[in-house]
Amino acid sequence: MSNSPLLRIEDLRTYFYSRVKRAFVRSVDGVDLEVVRGETLGIVGESGSGKSVTMLSSMGLVTTGPGVVTGKVTFHDGEPKNLLEGLDANVKLERRDGRIMRVSKDNQAWQKQADRNLKGIRGGKISMIFQNPRAALNPFETIGKQIAEAVRLHTGVTGAAEAREKALHWLEQVRIDSPRLRYDNHPYGLSGGMSQRAMIAMALAAEPQMLIADEPTTGLDATIQARIVDLLDDLKARLGMTMVLISHDIGVISRLSDRIAVMYGGRVMETGPAAEVLDDHAEGHPYTRALLSSTPRPENVTASGHLPAIEGEVLDTINVPPGCRFKARCQRMHDGVRPRCESQEPELFEIAPGRRIRCWIYAPR
Amino acid sequence: MSQPTSEALIPEAPILEVRDLRKHFAQRRGMLGALSRGADAKVIPAIDGVSFSLHENETLGLVGESGCGKTTTGKAILKLHSVTGGTIRYRGTDITNQSQAQFRPLRRDIQMIFQDLDAALNPKVRIEDILREAVLLREPDADKESVQRQIYELMDLVNLKKNKLANFPSELSGGEKRRIGIARVLAVRPKLIVADEPTSALDVSIQAQVINLMRDLQAQFGLSYLFISHDLQLVELMSHRVAVMYLGQIVEMGPAKDIAKSPKHPYTSILWSSIVEKRSTETANHDSAPAWGVFDFERPRGGCRFAPRCPVYAERGKPAVCTDAANPPVLKEAGAGRVVACHFPL
Repeated sequence: MSNSPLLRIEDLRTYFYSRVKRAFVRSVDGVDLEVVRGETLGIVGESGSGKSVTMLSSMGLVTTGPGVVTGKVTFHDGEPKNLLEGLDANVKLERRDGRIMRVSKDNQAWQKQADRNLKGIRGGKISMIFQNPRAALNPFETIGKQIAEAVRLHTGVTGAAEAREKALHWLEQVRIDSPRLRYDNHPYGLSGGMSQRAMIAMALAAEPQMLIADEPTTGLDATIQARIVDLLDDLKARLGMTMVLISHDIGVISRLSDRIAVMYGGRVMETGPAAEVLDDHAEGHPYTRALLSSTPRPENVTASGHLPAIEGEVLDTINVPPGCRFKARCQRMHDGVRPRCESQEPELFEIAPGRRIRCWIYAPR
Repeated sequence: MSQPTSEALIPEAPILEVRDLRKHFAQRRGMLGALSRGADAKVIPAIDGVSFSLHENETLGLVGESGCGKTTTGKAILKLHSVTGGTIRYRGTDITNQSQAQFRPLRRDIQMIFQDLDAALNPKVRIEDILREAVLLREPDADKESVQRQIYELMDLVNLKKNKLANFPSELSGGEKRRIGIARVLAVRPKLIVADEPTSALDVSIQAQVINLMRDLQAQFGLSYLFISHDLQLVELMSHRVAVMYLGQIVEMGPAKDIAKSPKHPYTSILWSSIVEKRSTETANHDSAPAWGVFDFERPRGGCRFAPRCPVYAERGKPAVCTDAANPPVLKEAGAGRVVACHFPL
């Protein structure tokens, strides 16, 4: 079964309770996603769309504070395993007049349960790389030792010398120049691009089945960014890695993804093969189309010299209005669908095999 | 409003003229080094001989990697940095060594939009008061009604609703904060705006709104922009002309379209080919450029600063002229309105 999903996320909801506003911030509000073995799934969306929180919740990393995660995240490695098993038992909601007035959460028990669920998976079978490599690397330890530690923790290797050789191997794999010299460097001695490479090496050293890359190139210079994208592309081909790539940068997403999920206001608005979702002339969700045409590319400039902007602001996920989440900014809503757009949230309608769009325009007749 | 083209250039005297601008920072190592005032300080040439001019109604884009001196150049023009050498002329007046008091009347004409949205607006002052302060700066004697009217006009200009006036900056979204930053700058009726990464903190859809706004305002008030950004496609779209900086020097300058389409300096070429969208797996594999390293200011090599990273230098078998300290490349004419500093332009 080569097409079996490695990770399946079903109806994931992550709400953060704001004490000041006495309301939930619905960061992730019913997300369904599948990651198939060997593919790269790109999750694209603007800030606040819930793309990072989706993956952080799945990895049990939403622990502190009043974050509540519900849903089901199944990791198919041998026996399917729900990574969110038993978490909701640690949360109590106090309701009054149908509104949630207070949330009490046993943070310690929650964290313990999450750690139990993810033992051997997080960092081992699924590893993650983040936007800021400096925050992810220990500043007091050489990068070589940190990578060797990942090798010894997550693979069968136990000997120090063998772990060192493995670590050097991964430094070579991520194309760090003179890896033997860099092995003994502390993170502060490395440039931004090089720290990012070291972090990728550390993630790969666990020999994971899946890699989650959260904005891996954001904040890097264009030339360095291009190199890191090249590297990920190359690793994908050489190692046959399964990857979830989170980015707001459509350029990065289009270069690396096999399949794309577009998120807006805590929900997946569209999924499908990368080429189709990003094709300028194909059918697609009004949000995706508008997002693509508002990127500063020469072919997007109108005759008046303007960029077709999406008017309005990004959705406020506290007071989510009824109906479609994008309706306030939608340019393609017409009278035929308007009543439904205003009142009822559309499902993800399948318009072709593997291609789904959450928009009433694409509802089957 | 039409596409920015090089023909839009007005052959009049430039509004801003920068000649051979230099800004060297002293770096002292350690605690004792910081205390001593001696010759042991290492010199970091953040800007090292930058010359350009900017005309009325024109946008000059300034691009380059982080650390190349883009922002330092912008701040030097606003006299937020003292300079080590060179001249800055605004409408013919040499402002380089003017005291802050002498410069004050011109301060209104030259304004800056800062990169950091949150640092630029006082978090404890309501939007209305932020704008009132700016209006009163230009017209200290204006009566209450006129100030109020001007505040409303400013909000209209940047397409914000009046009900935002009572809010504090923290209650606004990123796009709204950016608009307030622009409104405050417009309150003093500037002629020249240094825009330092004005959209780097914004989402793509909001970025497009701000870019459109900036272009409309340019057409309406005849503004000149020095547009600093690391986003090459954005610069290409916003600017009439583009200057590419590398380690404190301009290596190529010319009309935006020409620079993007047919770069003459190898660095410009690499920069534009690194736009991720335009790359494919094949171009990545055929990329002959050597691995990128960070230029070490402390060990300046003679001659061309780009040589250690330059594919042309490598292909031509490392010609001696490229590393000849007595003969560094200087900006030379290279076609219509273009200059390039390279011994072997593409």
